[in-house]
Amino acid sequence: MTFWQSILGFNAESPLLFTQFYFWAFFALVYALFALIMSSPRIANGRQKLHLRNVYLLFVSWFFYYKTSGLFLLILAFVTLSDWILAGRIKANSQKPIAKVFLCLSVVIDLGLLAYFKYAYFFTNLINDLFGTGFRVFDVFAYIGNGFAEAGRFSVDTIVLPVGISFYIFQVISYTADVFRGRIQPVKNILDFGFYVSFFPQLVAGPIVRAEEFIPQLYKPFRLSRRAFGIAVFWILNGLAKKIIMSDFLAVNIIDRVFNNPLLFSGFENLFALFAYSLQVYADFSGYTDIAIGVAMLMGFYLPMNFNSPYKSQNPQEFWRRWHMSLGRWLKTYLYIPLGGNRRIGFGTYFWWSLIAFVSAALTGWWWLLIPFAAFMVGVFVWNKWASSKAKVESQKLLYSNLNSFITQVLGGLWHGASWNFIIWGGINGIGMIVEKIWRKMNWHVRMATMSGLTLMLCIFDAVWQLPVWRLFAVWAAIIWIGTVIRYIYWLITKDNGKWKMENGKWENITQSLSKAWAIGQTFAFITFTRLFFRSSSNLDPATANEVAWATAKNMVNQIGGAWNNAIIPDFLWEYRWVVAMFVAGMVIHWLPTNWKRRYRLAFSAIPLWLMVIVVCVAIVVIYQFVSAEMQPFIYFQF
Amino acid sequence: MKPERVLLFIVCVMAVLGALCIVLPGQLSIGGKEVRWPTLAEVFEKKHPDISIQPSDTIPETPEEPEEPEQPDTVVVEKPKPVVIPKVEVNDSIDSRYFLRAFYEALPQASERVVRVVHYGDSQIEEDRMSQQIREQLQSRFGGQGVGLMPLAQTIPTVTMKQELYMNGRRVNPNAGPRRYMVYGIRDMQRRDSHYGVMGQMAVMADSLVRGSEAVQAVCVPQSEKVHYSRWRVFADSTIHYDFSGDTAYLWGRGAVYGLSQESANGVIVDNIPMRGCMGLVFTKIDAMQLSTFYREENVKLIIMQFGGNAIPSNEKPTTISAIVYGLRDQIRYIKRCAPNASILFIGPSDMIRMTDGEWETYPLVPYMDRLLKKITMEEGVAYFSLFQWMGGSGSMIRWRELGLAGEDGVHFHRSGARKAGNAVAEWMLEGMENGQWKIEN
Repeated sequence: MTFWQSILGFNAESPLLFTQFYFWAFFALVYALFALIMSSPRIANGRQKLHLRNVYLLFVSWFFYYKTSGLFLLILAFVTLSDWILAGRIKANSQKPIAKVFLCLSVVIDLGLLAYFKYAYFFTNLINDLFGTGFRVFDVFAYIGNGFAEAGRFSVDTIVLPVGISFYIFQVISYTADVFRGRIQPVKNILDFGFYVSFFPQLVAGPIVRAEEFIPQLYKPFRLSRRAFGIAVFWILNGLAKKIIMSDFLAVNIIDRVFNNPLLFSGFENLFALFAYSLQVYADFSGYTDIAIGVAMLMGFYLPMNFNSPYKSQNPQEFWRRWHMSLGRWLKTYLYIPLGGNRRIGFGTYFWWSLIAFVSAALTGWWWLLIPFAAFMVGVFVWNKWASSKAKVESQKLLYSNLNSFITQVLGGLWHGASWNFIIWGGINGIGMIVEKIWRKMNWHVRMATMSGLTLMLCIFDAVWQLPVWRLFAVWAAIIWIGTVIRYIYWLITKDNGKWKMENGKWENITQSLSKAWAIGQTFAFITFTRLFFRSSSNLDPATANEVAWATAKNMVNQIGGAWNNAIIPDFLWEYRWVVAMFVAGMVIHWLPTNWKRRYRLAFSAIPLWLMVIVVCVAIVVIYQFVSAEMQPFIYFQF
Repeated sequence: MKPERVLLFIVCVMAVLGALCIVLPGQLSIGGKEVRWPTLAEVFEKKHPDISIQPSDTIPETPEEPEEPEQPDTVVVEKPKPVVIPKVEVNDSIDSRYFLRAFYEALPQASERVVRVVHYGDSQIEEDRMSQQIREQLQSRFGGQGVGLMPLAQTIPTVTMKQELYMNGRRVNPNAGPRRYMVYGIRDMQRRDSHYGVMGQMAVMADSLVRGSEAVQAVCVPQSEKVHYSRWRVFADSTIHYDFSGDTAYLWGRGAVYGLSQESANGVIVDNIPMRGCMGLVFTKIDAMQLSTFYREENVKLIIMQFGGNAIPSNEKPTTISAIVYGLRDQIRYIKRCAPNASILFIGPSDMIRMTDGEWETYPLVPYMDRLLKKITMEEGVAYFSLFQWMGGSGSMIRWRELGLAGEDGVHFHRSGARKAGNAVAEWMLEGMENGQWKIEN
């Protein structure tokens, strides 16, 4: 009995994770039955076969979700049902105003659930801060659950976040919105729709599959070419290696230690850990979606690419096109464009701007912040009226796109986690993107003057206040300033000299590559800096998590800007040589040219199957060495 | 490709890996490194440590013993021999709080004069962790104010005290302040003589002739009402001059500064003295005269030593651990000679975990070190608080980490965990005083 209970029952301690043996045993069993359904003509044929496959995978996915999240399966089932019904109503009433009501109702239900589970603590804290009240969250669902089960079965004092809710809620919203816009036909069969919402490879961590990309696949017969099979296996191995070697190994051996207690480590170690964290976040997340993509592909389903070597980006805007692409596209389609994109600013823009202003003021307690926020908004409004009358279309476009994308970034930040640091994170990303766009439009004289002025100002701040944060910014600005000077001089030499370029074609190529490397380096540094605010301990209650996240960021800045110690760098590099080697290897692989990567992927997919079995086994044994590797002992260099 | 071929592929991979489970474990090494691979039994054995934190915040009556190595099973593939961890015989029936007698006897005098507690420890007590709760509990009971000793340049901020440092009128980073020396620091920070002072660290103002005289301003602002103080103290060479104004201490001249202190004229003062990365084997390197003078003149009645954690991760052999524990015994003896009239309390290491084969587990030598420390402290007449047993023994750190009481590194407490532990130590001491057992001769 206990055996079956442990196999079939929900245990919060042992979810089905891609990196564990149990998931692969589960997958092998699932696949065995899947193969039977797909290949035996006696079981079903034609459309019937597809239908059977979809239903089978739906129940498998639900079982998977139950193993991961227990009774939260009911929430998943509920949103599936509600959005399926509402999308049907929308279609039935298309062209009528009531369709909009159904759409709103669907969005309210979906976002309401998300807000309840994800943002209840956030809003409770906000209200308590505002009015000095002492409200605590109360879990309505647990309360109802207790009515059915024995009393006290579920705790009503805490609200647990159902796994993957952020992902599947966004998926169902995309479906209903696409039906409303007439881009897809509503799914007739609720089981098929359920399958789209809960397909297990991407259920808990994406990619966020939009309805129009996935639903047509439900009705297509199974197709997996030999090459696609090889590539699917490659993605799975690639994902496992990323997750276990690049992410978990680095996390356990350096990153967690430093983030946990930045003051124990010198500035250099803190900076190293921060950069390593950038790699870890990428490797962890993209590794997981690589596996999801590979697993789905083996079953004949094609999920969208989610990461396209994001640290190759040359500017923050490009980064967001390469990082968590499915979320980026979702936000663009369902938030940025409805807000007005680069075409207009309307009620949505003003509403969200006011809300961001209000939340910022409430959380910091600096109510005066409302004044600059409001002044800015009034300024935008007035300028917009004036610009419309003067037909300054280009400037208006620039303003609209910047403002709307800033709002999108902040809300995107909030999607990642319901806390203050994620808002800061989103805000910094938004500002970074805008600043970079403006920078690109400046001519070289202005760039040089701006950068010189900024660097000088930060150096003065550093000299006057002697605070680590100013030291950090001053050094960073000085590095960018040096790069700017060099590029400025180069520009001065070559600007009117087309002949020089013609004669020095080789040099021209080299300087272009250098310029690209510089841009990539700066973007990577900026994104890494934003990571200071990206980390939040999930094992703490949200208020404490906020406090700890803020203290961690502050202490890390203090160490990087204040406790730098060159003398210990060689010792650190030597003692942590394996960790450093892994980080460097990770970055080098990341930066390999895309066509190299494609080539070795294709080469792998073309090897004979027996050889592939051997390669896979060897790779898994190698990966296992990292799972079981002894931990790097603690060594302190900073006192 | 047809699904059945894909299935065949999956089955082949699993079969090969399964076969490796039978063939590989303990059999293959490349370049001297063993290639690790689990046995079938390890693959199917679910690891669900069922651990809860000690509900009563007291140390269990039957402490956990180090695990005896299992007898090798003749059928199982040969694995490297497990390290044999010797059993430690300790008389657990004696309540070690008996050895806090001198401290308990002195506490009632705290209404008239200072009774000082010096809390030495490793990074587990940095930022005033644990000391803060011990201080709060003792001061609320017996009076006393202030955070006690702090270094001239506080490089590690604490929860209770915020310091800003100015040199010759300019704000400086503490690392760029007067040159610091530490008995537990890297070689460059060590002194030729042994004059480190009671904190094991000191700063020298105007260390080189080139730098000329230095004027230092240390603005030390208590971070809560609980650490308000009524007087400043400076422990320094007589060549150092000083003055105070509010929360600011002004120092000028040339010479050594061993510490500043915010305190009161009576009551209990608890000094938090963290020694990062230190195993506790450094006290004998500090000048005995300096230590004994401080302990005597400042009426130090309790010395808390909290070490051991730094010995665990880098040592795999019980013999090394036992050598370190006997080294600690020599340190205890040295402290006893310097403070013959004070009680000593030793706080052992907490549970500490590491990642092995993808699972967190307690370092195998923690229980052994804990028991051995208890044994030698009993022999030396020193009270012992087993943080490890109090947390719940082996594997308790896994739960602490999950509950957010300890950090992701599986070693250091979060503030919430430190608060819990500090309060437990304080309550254990006070409870021992009240039950009066210490008055009865053993």
